[in-house]
Parts: sequence; C-alpha cells; structure tokens
Amino acid sequence: MHKEIADYLNSVVSGAEAKALEAEVGDSSVLVASEHILKVCQALKDSDEHQYNVLQTISGVDYPEGVGEDKTPVIEVNYMIASFTKNTEIILKVRVPRGDDENLPKVDSVCSVWTAADWQERECYDLVGVEFVNHPDHRRILNPYDWKGHPLRKDYKAQEVYQGMTVYPEDKQNIPEQDFIVEQNKLNDEAKAAAKKAREEAKKDN
Amino acid sequence: MNTHHEELTLKKYFQNIWNGIRTTIKGLSITIKHVYDVKPVTIEYPEVREVIPEGSRSRLFNDVQNCISCDQCAVACPVDCIYIASKPRPKDAEKIKTSNGTPIRRELTQYTIDTSLCCYCGLCTTVCPTESLTHTTDHEYASYTIDHMKYDYLDPEVVAWRDRIVK
Amino acid sequence: MDSTENSGNGNGQNKYGGEKLKSELLTVNMGPQHPATHGVLRVEIKTDSEVVSEAIPHIGYLHRCFEKHCENIDYRGNLPFCDRMDYLAAMHMELGYCLAIEKMIGTEIPRRAEYIRVIITELQRIASHLLFTGVYAIDLGAFTPFLYCFDQREKILRLFEEISGARLLYNYIWIGGVWNDIKDGQLARIKEFCESFPAELDKYMNLVGQNKIFVERTANIGIMNAEMCYNYGATGPVLRGAGVDWDLRKKRPYSIYEELDFDVPVGTGEKGTLGDCWDRFAVRQQEMRESLKIIKQCLDGIEEGPIMGKVPKVLKLPKGEIYMRTECARGELGYHIVSDGGKVPYRVKAKSSSFTHTSMLPEVAPGLLIADFVAVIGSIDIVLGEVDR
Repeated sequence: MHKEIADYLNSVVSGAEAKALEAEVGDSSVLVASEHILKVCQALKDSDEHQYNVLQTISGVDYPEGVGEDKTPVIEVNYMIASFTKNTEIILKVRVPRGDDENLPKVDSVCSVWTAADWQERECYDLVGVEFVNHPDHRRILNPYDWKGHPLRKDYKAQEVYQGMTVYPEDKQNIPEQDFIVEQNKLNDEAKAAAKKAREEAKKDN
Repeated sequence: MNTHHEELTLKKYFQNIWNGIRTTIKGLSITIKHVYDVKPVTIEYPEVREVIPEGSRSRLFNDVQNCISCDQCAVACPVDCIYIASKPRPKDAEKIKTSNGTPIRRELTQYTIDTSLCCYCGLCTTVCPTESLTHTTDHEYASYTIDHMKYDYLDPEVVAWRDRIVK
Repeated sequence: MDSTENSGNGNGQNKYGGEKLKSELLTVNMGPQHPATHGVLRVEIKTDSEVVSEAIPHIGYLHRCFEKHCENIDYRGNLPFCDRMDYLAAMHMELGYCLAIEKMIGTEIPRRAEYIRVIITELQRIASHLLFTGVYAIDLGAFTPFLYCFDQREKILRLFEEISGARLLYNYIWIGGVWNDIKDGQLARIKEFCESFPAELDKYMNLVGQNKIFVERTANIGIMNAEMCYNYGATGPVLRGAGVDWDLRKKRPYSIYEELDFDVPVGTGEKGTLGDCWDRFAVRQQEMRESLKIIKQCLDGIEEGPIMGKVPKVLKLPKGEIYMRTECARGELGYHIVSDGGKVPYRVKAKSSSFTHTSMLPEVAPGLLIADFVAVIGSIDIVLGEVDR
C-alpha cells in the first residue's frame, strides 16, 4: 500500500521524491521531499482513489544524530493522515535539517488543506521547533508565549529565569538529601575496599 | 444564536407552552419520586466512615523486617520517591531470613518514602520479591508540614503506627 | 479614553451625543478559573453586547510535559502518567498505550485479560458519559441531574476501587494484560449494575434530554456539520453527532471488539439541525446503552485463564515506530511511539481528541450568545488534562 502511494505521489507531484519506508515491526511510512509537502498533501486529499480527508496529528521527532546511516542532524515531521471514507491511514514523513534556536527549520504549512493543521502545527512549533511557512497564526500554544527554547529537542535546557522567577528552583527538585547520598557512597566504598582486601588476602594465602 | 428560523404560528405558540409545562411536570415527578423512594446515598463523614476495600492503594508501608534491600522498588518508581541506603552484613553475623525464606544479605540503614511525591501507582509493590512493601488502606494522614510527609520506616513510631492501623 | 471626549462642550449639546459615542468590541476573559470551562481553559471572547464575535482559546495551563516525561522513564513507568492525561477516562488512556506497545513486541494477550479490558473500558465510558450528563446539566442551570449521575458513577468507581485499588487513576491495564483478576462476586455486581442502569438512562432522558428548557438551550446551537468535523479532524461523539457513522471499534477493531455485536449511534437532528449540541448529548446517552450491551456480551463470554501474557521483565521495544488509535470516551486517542531499541521510548506523542475539539471553538463561536457558548464548550466534553497533556 505504501509503495502504491509513493508511486502515485511521484506521478502527480514532480520532484516529490516519495519513497516508501517499509518497516519490519510497527508502522510503515512514506517519506517525501520537504519542499513539496503542501502539494503532496493537496494531492492526497484531492485524489479520488485515496481521499485522505482527515489530518489526525503532526508529530515532530528530533534526531540530533541523524536517522539510520545518514548522520546529518534532522528533525522529522510526521503527518498522520487518515481517510474516513476509505478507512485507511498513513504516516507521511518529511525530514528537514535541524538548525538551531535562531535558525529554525522551515516546512510549508498545510493549513490550507486541512484546518486541523492549524493547532497541530502550532504545537509542533512550540515543542519541537519547526517553523511552518504561511501559517495564519504562528504562535506557541502549550508553553507561555514568551518562553524560550523548544522542550522536545533532545538538547533542550530550560531557561534559568522566566519573568523574574527561577525555573525549577533547587528546593523544589527531588534530590535525595545530600548526606544521604554521601552516606550511601561511603558505605559502597567501604564495601568495595573490604572486598578488595579480602581478595588480596586470599591471593596472599595462595 | 438561533440560526434556525421557523414561522411561529399561533398553534405552535401554544404547543410550545404546553410542551414546556408537560416536560417540566415530567421532570418534577422524577425528582419528587426520588425524595420519597430513594434512600439517601450520602454518609455523614466524620461520624460514619466507609469501609475502604481491601485492595485499595493508599499509604505505603514497608515491613523492614522482611526487606532485603534489593532496590527494585526504587528503580521501578516513576517519580523517584523511595530512598534506600544499606550496607552489607558482616560475614560472621547470624544468618537471618525473611518470613518467606529469602536470606537477608544486606542491612537496611535507611528506608524513606516521600509520600508527598508518591503517585500511588503501585508499581513498587508489584516488583517487591518478599512482599514487604505494601499498600495499606490507611488514607487519613494529613500533616502540617511537607517534611512530615517523609516517612522513615525504620523509625519506631512508624512501626507502631503499622500495628495500630493494619490488622 | 480621552476624558474630554464625552464631556459636554458647553454649547448645549447633549453630553452623550450619539455621534460621539464610541462603539467597540468588549474583551471578556472567560477562565482560567471559570466553572463552565471544565478545568483551566481560558477563552478570550470579543463580544458585541452579549453576542460573541470572536473567541480565542488559550490553553497550556495544565501542561505537565507528558511527552518529555515519557522520554526519560521506562515503558512500564509511563503508565501512571498516561492515566493523568484524561483523568475522567483513565482506563482508555492506558489501553491505547498498552496496545501500541504490545503490537510492537508482538505479545499475545490471554483471552480473559481481553474480556476484562473490554468490560472495564466500557464501564469507564459509562462513568465518563455520566459525568458529562451531570456536568452539562449544571452548565445549563440544572443541578439535580448532577446528583443522580454521580450516584450511579459512584457505583462504577466503587467497583474500580475494589478491582484496581484506585478510584480515579488506576494503572490497572498493564502491558501484556491486566493487573488483578476480577472476582466472580465483582462480575455479579457488574451484571446487577447492567440490569438496573437502563431505567436510570430513561430517567436522564426524561429529566434532562426531553425537557423543553434544555431543548431550547441546545437544539440549533453550535452546529458542527460533517464537513467541518472532517476538516478539523474531529472524532468520537462530536463526529457521530454530525451524523457520520464512524467508530474505531467497528471500523478498525482492536482487542475483541470484532466479535461483539453493537450499534453505532449517530446524530439525527431530531430536535433541531444535524450536528447541534442536542445531537451530541443524545449520542452520548445512546452510547451508554451500547456500552451496556457490550458489557453484557462480555460477561456471558468471559473465560477462565491467565490474565498476563508473556512480557520480558526488562522491556525493550524493537527499533521502529507505531501509531495506534483507539476509541476513547471523548474521541480517538492516538499514540505515536518511536523506539530506538532502548529501555525508554525515544518519542511518545499523544494525539488527544479534546485538543482537536477545542480547536473547533473559534469556528463555532461567532454569532453565539455567551451563555450558548458555554453550552457549546460543555457539549464537546473536553478534559483539559488531555488538551494540555
């Protein structure tokens, strides 16, 4: 099924470079070139054969060490698309270079195809940090509007101060009491030393 | 806003009024029936107390005599609220066993659960090999400060609490 | 406003001269602490007198970083966090997560566990819809039905407490099966509940659903038609209320739903237009009846046997990804789980139906009265824990 869709996309959208990723376990998916995502989605929705009329969700995944053999850091944006008339579903993927906080990766918005993309893309932008070009209302959605950083990136570090408040102050952190750890370490060290000594003595005896 | 406009005839006007009265009376008859037919379902709490089902997951209790300090509960805990410290028992010490026959090789020096962090998911009790860590049915243990929510199960007071609450 | 603007100019002209009156939209902040928003939803409403001309939902007040948590805790440890997404239908949240992982590792679930799962989740659906019925009546100004609904819901919660040990956040459905077995006595009590409950359902329909005041408040209000639902990706009772026969339990059966016989209730537009608030209410009422039907079949068919399948003690998923959809009380829940072969998930993304339904509010709101807007928020039955995750 994924092969057919990839073939169909290649025939309809020139330069889509659609490729079926067959998985041994779990779900297979279709990878397309990120520049053509808008055309691809429009084609999938408009085709009489497929009729993908519902966008379920957009899920961004951060791969700072690349996917598989390819070691370039990428962000993968997964579009879960379903057809409620044909009862099919498909995962559509695009991969974009990861960029950094100042230079976010850019993907075309698909709001014009499904309105559902509006909030889903906002969420993806907020949490993973993908900029959706031509989005009608490009704001953060779950985090405060003036928050910095994108939490679901693997190298995310929370900002230290937010509006004069300390983020995650030390007295709220769940660290077992310090003397507690020290005590545990000391006990472990003692045990290790004792074991070592016993071994050495055993050696000597031999 | 009502987007659905139908012409209001005189007949419909009176029909509406009649429908309003009829359905209201119907509803009222149900409520009145409830007043006389249905017994009260609420209880007067501090005087009357519900019996908590046996398997209910409330305050955690670790029976330190049966604990072998295996650390599995602390690993399973998704919120990291169990703190364990232990040291190996000396070799020449008397051999002791738990109630189900597992030998105790380490001596527990501290076993603390921060109940204010605990999410009562029960994952720690299911991994316990000697079933020393269990949920009790005690659920009324509000305390004045957050530090009081940390329970040290080697503390004699907590052991006494156990004898009082858990039969 | 400029203070001289409206003051008299001394030339005998009216102080409140018509041409000088300013007319602008008034911004009203509804929430986050507003009883009618079912949690901490803030809706910024631009009103023209009492008519809403624009509504902008602001969410995120209950954001608890579910997805970030999942990347740091092992697969089993994530289950209690799944519960906390939709705390009113926690069993459904667990079921979706467990099904996704079981599909990845290819575990076979014992038949008894499958039956127990279906019984429990359908009871949970009834409990969730009961809460909706009661709270929706409160939204529209009737207090009594709330008490009747909670009386019945309490029976279900009591059962859950005995079976799983908790009343709200169960952590009962586990990867590979369920935690505890249901005892025969408890099954008998479920059966008893199934027999007594239809009478209660009639009561709610007579007390609330058919009441003229209730019908006037809900019929023809907040119409979400099928096209709009598809466009926004709405699912569950909202989509079925629009007259679309779509239920994942029928269309893409998971667990043992394939073997069970039940109908999918759809909205009919009986009291007004197809897809209005009343239709969504009615669909939920009928869904409870269908759930009872399912539970009865499961009680007849339940088999003896083990309740846990074979799952490795240290759970590692093979490399890959999965997107699993299940039908929850509020709509479809999808888990997108990406694994890199390790002990913790690489990425977990939860698609919640409440999030989708909340995004429909700005489209429905224009032209409604504020009081009717409250009726619309109530009718899509959102849980903010699921919206913000």
